[in-house]
Amino acid sequence: MEIVVCVKPVPEAETRLRVAADARSFDAEGVKFVLAGYDESAVEQALLLKEATPGSHVHVVAAGPSPRTEEVLRASIALGCDAATFVEMPNAPAPDPIATARALAGAIRALPHDLVLCGKQAGDDEGGLVAAALGELLGLPDFGYVVDLRWDAAAARLRFQRSAEAGQELWESPLPCVVGLQQAWNDPRTAKLPAILKSRKAPIAKVAPPADATGHPTSHAEKFELPPPRMGAKLIEFKTPPEAAEKLVKLLREEAKVFP
Amino acid sequence: MTPGILVVGEVQNGRLAPATLEALGVARAVAPSGDPIVGFVSGAAGKSAAADFARFGVGHVYCAEDPRLDAAPVGAIAHAVAAAAGAAGAALVLVGGTTFGRDLVGRLAIRWDASAATGVTELVRADGALRVRRSVFGGRAHETRRMEGPRCAVALRPHAFSVPAEAPMALTVESIATADLPSNLIAPRRVEVRAPDRGAGPSLSDAAIVVSGGRGLRGPEDFHLVDELAAALGAAVGASRAVTDAGWRPASFQVGQTGKAVSPQLYVAVGISGAIQHIVGMVSSRCIVAINSDASAPIFKVADYGIVGDLFEIVPALTAEVRRARAP
Amino acid sequence: MPDFALTPEQESLRDMARKFARTEMAPHAAECDRTPRFPEEIYRKAFDLGLMNLNVPSELGGSGLTLFDQCLIVEELAYACGGMMTSIIANCLALEPILLGGTPEQQRRFLQPFCASYQLASFCLTEPRGGSDAGNPSTRARRDGDHYVLDGEKCFITNAPQASLYTVFATLDPSLRHKGISAFVVPRSTEGVVPGKEEEKMGHRASSTSSVRFDHARVSVEHRLGAEGEGFSIAMRTLDQTRTPIGALATGIAQAALDHAADYSLKRETFGKPISEHQAIQIKLANMAQAVHAARLLTWHAAWTIDRGQRGTLESSIAKCFASDAALHVADEAIQTFGGYGYMKEYPVEKLLRDAKLTQIYEGANEIQRTVIARELLREYA
Repeated sequence: MEIVVCVKPVPEAETRLRVAADARSFDAEGVKFVLAGYDESAVEQALLLKEATPGSHVHVVAAGPSPRTEEVLRASIALGCDAATFVEMPNAPAPDPIATARALAGAIRALPHDLVLCGKQAGDDEGGLVAAALGELLGLPDFGYVVDLRWDAAAARLRFQRSAEAGQELWESPLPCVVGLQQAWNDPRTAKLPAILKSRKAPIAKVAPPADATGHPTSHAEKFELPPPRMGAKLIEFKTPPEAAEKLVKLLREEAKVFP
Repeated sequence: MTPGILVVGEVQNGRLAPATLEALGVARAVAPSGDPIVGFVSGAAGKSAAADFARFGVGHVYCAEDPRLDAAPVGAIAHAVAAAAGAAGAALVLVGGTTFGRDLVGRLAIRWDASAATGVTELVRADGALRVRRSVFGGRAHETRRMEGPRCAVALRPHAFSVPAEAPMALTVESIATADLPSNLIAPRRVEVRAPDRGAGPSLSDAAIVVSGGRGLRGPEDFHLVDELAAALGAAVGASRAVTDAGWRPASFQVGQTGKAVSPQLYVAVGISGAIQHIVGMVSSRCIVAINSDASAPIFKVADYGIVGDLFEIVPALTAEVRRARAP
Repeated sequence: MPDFALTPEQESLRDMARKFARTEMAPHAAECDRTPRFPEEIYRKAFDLGLMNLNVPSELGGSGLTLFDQCLIVEELAYACGGMMTSIIANCLALEPILLGGTPEQQRRFLQPFCASYQLASFCLTEPRGGSDAGNPSTRARRDGDHYVLDGEKCFITNAPQASLYTVFATLDPSLRHKGISAFVVPRSTEGVVPGKEEEKMGHRASSTSSVRFDHARVSVEHRLGAEGEGFSIAMRTLDQTRTPIGALATGIAQAALDHAADYSLKRETFGKPISEHQAIQIKLANMAQAVHAARLLTWHAAWTIDRGQRGTLESSIAKCFASDAALHVADEAIQTFGGYGYMKEYPVEKLLRDAKLTQIYEGANEIQRTVIARELLREYA
């Protein structure tokens, strides 16, 4: 099986976010970029499928600015990916994920790909768009929020579960297809030190974004805001407990926007 | 034809899902007057829900009746949506922020050649441009994006908008043909759907919502109030050190300096005074609600919302209200 | 040393060590300290990931890192738990004599199988009547045909209860003083090797320490490292190599203490504001930060010097001495910053003080380091 995994560099989880000088995005100065958590699961799944299906290869692809994008490609190689392709993109603040998808598709079209794996969304923009856009660009079906992915060689079908609102959906699909994986349901392996040292010298193929990556409707980041610091609780006035409950749920829903 | 808005319908139990109704509400708010709002449904399930659009003031619905679309991968449905959007001459496609909606927008961005955004909490048309606001970095920040080009596909954030008032009108259904659906887009098969397991809650460390109980719950026999509120919210359960020390709950439930540090979207502290050891374990939560009978409890300094009252009355009322608000 | 920036390779190594430290070591540090418990499963994981035997060249199965890169890793792991790092670094200490004094054939014979699987080793120099005074050991080695017979007792030996290999310093002739000492590789399987009862320590409680008695333990001449009488030199050259990573270990403890104190100072409020806004605390934190930064840079400079092929005795002595004193002081001030809470075992800072203390004592007590520094320094003026 020829497996392509798409990965992305994101700020590490402990980053203290600051607004950039132009207020359009976060300040990347001094920020440490790492392989996105969802992508770790995607790489792990690719490696597990490779190990279960003899004769398989895993090719990791990423589109983004240098050097952080090459770093996550090297991290993926250290985990066990066989080859890597880097699509260099300009260092734009908060880039449009569809443009990223077009860049990835350009590289993937040139590679054998039975299965394209992505992390469902990244910890920064959390768009969750890339897997679906890739599917459309490559003319393949895509599935998001997937857990428990297995290849049934006898039936020549990919079997997996999707976590959807209605519950857990069990699916089967022929290849090729695109899968967006849920995070951390498998247990991503840790790269060993010798592999990390070796990955520093691994070759990374570099390609330019395809010509058709530009000239499409896109979006631009205009403002990046951090929430204001805590001022102390807004105390809810009420006469009866049900009134307090109702007011709170309304605030959580409409003001705080955290109601499930 | 004036470019309008196409709202993509999702069906739940034979009716349009609340997420779709929320999208309808947004469409009505953002459509310049005179711009048409049309609906889209697919599959046999979709056809029977088309009437719901008319109930909420959308009289023209595109219907891709093909029963293959009932359990098809989103790529197949996107084919039909793009065709409908083209037929309608729409400038904006809106869909609820569900797993389907987000995927659909990704496919439409390419198929329909549109700008795209998901998790949108605000949608504003101004200065001839459409701007969206969305949360990023796990809710730790917000960005505003300007959507470029003549077409835009947007998936909203779930539960960020209210269901609009009904505005019944007559229904016209226009068929969308799907004969040319590529076979590989409908070959995948949904074998089974298992209803979600409501028994076990999410794990404390990565739950989106946490409800924690403290010493204010007088004894272990009262902790069920916390469990029930957590179950209603789909939340994980936590506890203060006083509770775990007293043995009401195992040590693994402890949130705090020497327990677990959590940063969920929503943290509800029930009967917790807010000693620093607890605070440091949850202060980075996006939204903190405190329920305590003592108005001077330090927890109210870090909370966003507070209810000063008797938790034995407030919490059951809150559980009931949450259940009511979340019912489909 | 014009460029202080780490290369991307060094950053990858450091990140990998940091991730292991924070996810695998840190969650168990308090429990291993309290019980105490020797977390073999963590040491095995460290081995699996290539974090043990860092000083052994890769041809022999180690990771083949420069001393500088080793220090990057040591600091990260020690940040999570100084005790666990001590057991891990004890392998390096025990294997270094083989690298310095062994023939290529001996290196292959002893190190390749050792590094091929998870094993622990111990460096056996200290005796009940000689720690700093290592030139007059009581442990005797007697030549018997093509064997040596070892008799004596070593104490305070890290990993002794679990080690499969001991590097032992014994004298063939006490009248020759330090020139009578030879170094030997003694497998645990040798009859007459008797590890003692595990000691209960003030700190580094995730590491295990005991005495080792050698009771007519016979090893073949092929187990002798270097020439007869070269043992003391091998021991001193070993310590020349291991001093600097101990500086990194101490730096890791100090950094942890600083981080805890700074973080706490932002959250704890007294007199109406976070204590970080009180000058008394600010001055403390500033002094702590100076000490940590200096410790790290001294360690880096020492490692860089030795990686360039220089002996680096002055630099490594300064690094070890300064960093360990800094760790103690910073941990002490961290407890003070936490106030009453710092005194409670429930909080992580008192462990740091107990762990820091050992770094002033082992691997060359700081009093000896100071005499070494003075000697090296004055040489330049002579």
